[in-house]
Order: sequence, then C-alpha cells, then structure tokens
Amino acid sequence: MAESPARTAFAEEALTHLDTLYRGALRLTRDPDQAQDLVQEAYLRALRYQHSYQQGTNMKAWLFAIMRNLFWDRFKGSRKEDVSLDDVGEFVLYEKLRDEGARPEADVLDKLAASEVVKAVETLPPLHREVVLLVDVEGFSYKDAATALGVPIGTVMSRLHRARQQLQKSLYDYAVESGIVRGNGRPQVQQ
Amino acid sequence: MNCKDCSEKLDRFVDRELNSTEVLELQLHLESCPDCQDHYEFEAHMKRLVKHSCDCDTPPAFREKLRQLLS
Repeated sequence: MAESPARTAFAEEALTHLDTLYRGALRLTRDPDQAQDLVQEAYLRALRYQHSYQQGTNMKAWLFAIMRNLFWDRFKGSRKEDVSLDDVGEFVLYEKLRDEGARPEADVLDKLAASEVVKAVETLPPLHREVVLLVDVEGFSYKDAATALGVPIGTVMSRLHRARQQLQKSLYDYAVESGIVRGNGRPQVQQ
Repeated sequence: MNCKDCSEKLDRFVDRELNSTEVLELQLHLESCPDCQDHYEFEAHMKRLVKHSCDCDTPPAFREKLRQLLS
C-alpha cells in the first residue's frame, strides 16, 4: 500500500535533520553501529508518533528528544546511572595558560588534534555531553536545547558551564601529557 | 562593565544568548580591554574547535537505507 503524501512529506522533512541525529547518536553511543540502530529506531518512532509533532515548532529539537530518550532507555537503563562530573572547580583554560606564560590560542588550541577533542567530549558524562553536542556542535539556542532535553534553560546553562570546564581541563591535561605545554603551562621550546 | 562581569557573560556572548543591550556593553568593554578580547577569541576558537572536531556526515549507505525504510 502506498504511503500517504502527508507521511511522505513528514519523512522527507525529518530526514533533512539526519546528520544532526547521527552525529548526536555517534557521540552518545561512541559506536557507529549502535548509532545507526539508535537513529533508525528514532525515525521509526517519530513516524509512529507523527501526530504528536506540532507544526511550526522545532522539528530538529523534537527528533533529537526522541533519539536521546531512546538512548537513555536502551543504553543506560536508568538516568540515575549517569555519573556526575568531578568537581574541577573554576577551571578556565585561557587564564591558566596565560598566567603560566603560554599563548593560549597559538601554543595550545592550534596544536590540539581533532581526535583528542572528540575523546574529551566523549568522556563527558552523557547528561553533560548532550548539552555540548546541542549547543556547540549543532548550534542550538539554549531555549531549543532545553526543549530537546526537557529541562529548564538554567539547567542547560549550568550543565554547559560545567561541561566546558571539564572539557578544558581534559584538554589541558592532554596538552601537558603530550608535551604541547609543560606542566607549568609554558609551551615546549621548538627544536 | 568590568573584567569580572565580562568573564561571567562570555559564555552567553559566544553562544549569542545575550540581549542587544548586553551585547553592546560587552563589545564596548572588549574594545577597551585587550585581555578580555583575547579571552573572548580563545573561547570562540574553543567552540569552533569542538564543532569542527565532532563534525561528521551520515554514512551514505545508511542514509539510503533509512530513506527506503521510511518511504
């Protein structure tokens, strides 16, 4: 039986957001096969509950909400399993590097490998990782991120703040371990 | 605006979440404070770095499979 034009149009529009869902699923599951399973299930569920989508609202946020809810159901079992971030205090990478004599952008950011940045993102607890994915990677506003995650805007802001501090701390530790900067923040002397 | 106020609003400035009055105040401060300007550029660079590092496209074969499944 042929699909209805309305269902086809809905599916077409939903598929324009596929890259956002796939990127999100890949960073949440950290596994390409699991990411594809998750995204496929999310799209099937979206079509099944198409009637609950309100025209004119943010379809990308709605689809992301379906995907991340499935992630929590399937991969985590319970939201309580999410571990909280270690308290890194007020860690501001720019200030740390500047105070220790390095040039923060030229000496450090320009030398970080993309794979290390991904690793730092993927080691954030999922509740914090998903905020970084929405706001930094996908460019969601705080309001749209709050809609997708089902939390108040203040929660988005506080999780984002803590996630960025943890991210910067991880990248600083990597920069020290890999010799990009010395332990005191100074760049290695070029040979 | 002083440097502390600026630092507290930097996240929201980078994320384009300040209102127009706050943006104007912050921009005026940045014009007169090289250190805060450098800090702003660092945070903006950091945000771009995360975005570009995590960027990836959907595998074409999966996209096609999904398209057929949903059609």
